[in-house]
Amino acid sequence: MSCVIINYGMGNLASVSKALRKIGVAHSVSAHPEEVMAAHTLVLPGVGSFQAAMENLNSSGLAEAIKMRIGSGDAKLLGICLGMQLLADTGFEPERCSGLGLIPGEVRALECDMPIPHMGWNNLDIKNPTYFGELEDLDFYFVHSYHFVPQHEADIAATTDYGGPVVAAVQRGPVFGCQFHPEKSQRSGLMVLEHFFAQNA
Amino acid sequence: MLKVRIIPVLTFNGFALVKTKQFGNPRMVGNPIQAARVFNSRNVDELVFTDITATYSGRKINLTFVKEVIDECFMPVTIGGGIRSTEDINDLLKIGADKVLIKSMAINNRSFIGEAARLFGAQCISVAVDARRTGDGRWELHSKTPTGLDVLEFVKMVEQEGAGEIILTSVDRDGMMQGFDTELVEQVLNTVNTPVVAVGGGGSPEHFLELFQKTNIKAAGASAIFYFTQFTSYDIKKKLGDHGFPARFMAAGK
Repeated sequence: MSCVIINYGMGNLASVSKALRKIGVAHSVSAHPEEVMAAHTLVLPGVGSFQAAMENLNSSGLAEAIKMRIGSGDAKLLGICLGMQLLADTGFEPERCSGLGLIPGEVRALECDMPIPHMGWNNLDIKNPTYFGELEDLDFYFVHSYHFVPQHEADIAATTDYGGPVVAAVQRGPVFGCQFHPEKSQRSGLMVLEHFFAQNA
Repeated sequence: MLKVRIIPVLTFNGFALVKTKQFGNPRMVGNPIQAARVFNSRNVDELVFTDITATYSGRKINLTFVKEVIDECFMPVTIGGGIRSTEDINDLLKIGADKVLIKSMAINNRSFIGEAARLFGAQCISVAVDARRTGDGRWELHSKTPTGLDVLEFVKMVEQEGAGEIILTSVDRDGMMQGFDTELVEQVLNTVNTPVVAVGGGGSPEHFLELFQKTNIKAAGASAIFYFTQFTSYDIKKKLGDHGFPARFMAAGK
């Protein structure tokens, strides 16, 4: 089962690649749509703004390749941080624009009485244990100023508490996304990656 | 709930890790790669690694070597030393640094912080603020050459420029292991809303407890305690946790 980390010019590839090496997942890093079409597991990392990311994904043909590959039914996808947010229909960072549309919902600016960005270690309230197993009460590393608001509550895999519940992970079929950085969350993060890669699409 | 952070701060002289006292008398304390491996296995919240002689010696930080340090870490890592341009920042982020620590450029070219924050996002731009007591109840910004700048004025500027974090070190308390300069920390926290990491003086878990009880700080850094005592970051967080502060622990056996 081949895995590709999608390189679209937006951040943290080295750390994600290092984490996959650590848990023994063979993978390539690629910016080519044809390699995305040939892979069984897609990893979409990312740091930066929603709109800039979608512009890169659209102009390179990667957005189309990701949608087709996931639509074919025998591939799975992990989105991390911005890569998780891009799964939504719509983003607003900085202007309204379309996302990949793989999980219905919007990505809006965090609005609460707490400092923005939400940065640091926070624990999860797990709603769907598919990729979490027994990880309740463990902390994960977050850095974000926008958050995913799914249209369907069933797509929320976990929330975290930051001035109220904030979506920390989403899952819809073979598409999984985490707002936190599993590659920066020490053993708790590596365990989430292990659970994700241990399961078939 | 968001947890407090306890952060080992590794200072490097281009050859080995060194521990200073009041920013002088550097004493060699080990190999950075081994140290990073140990701190990673201790599951620390974050790590700061800074080459404290790069700027002064006119060197660039050794990217190949720093990458080896970063590769040991599965937690957020902040890297500093010798940063002079946005290309230098980009080089560090590309090899897996999560944040960069800027000092000299923040003093010499104020617009640099803002430029870096706009390019890379404020969350990855940390500024090192080294404070030395002046004797008249103020703190002067410390650097190799005297700055004459007031620390509270400087942190205000750093915040306005858009830095994501301030790593505030008390030069007077550095390496002394006799407790934090809580007055300094309190005054800085009263001046800015930017997240602050308080460094300098933590020699026992009680010192950290005192810092967290007397001020509203959410993160503290230290180094000497990890080299010269039996205490680990776990002991510090256990102390804080026992007194009601939210601390992050890894479940046993996981």
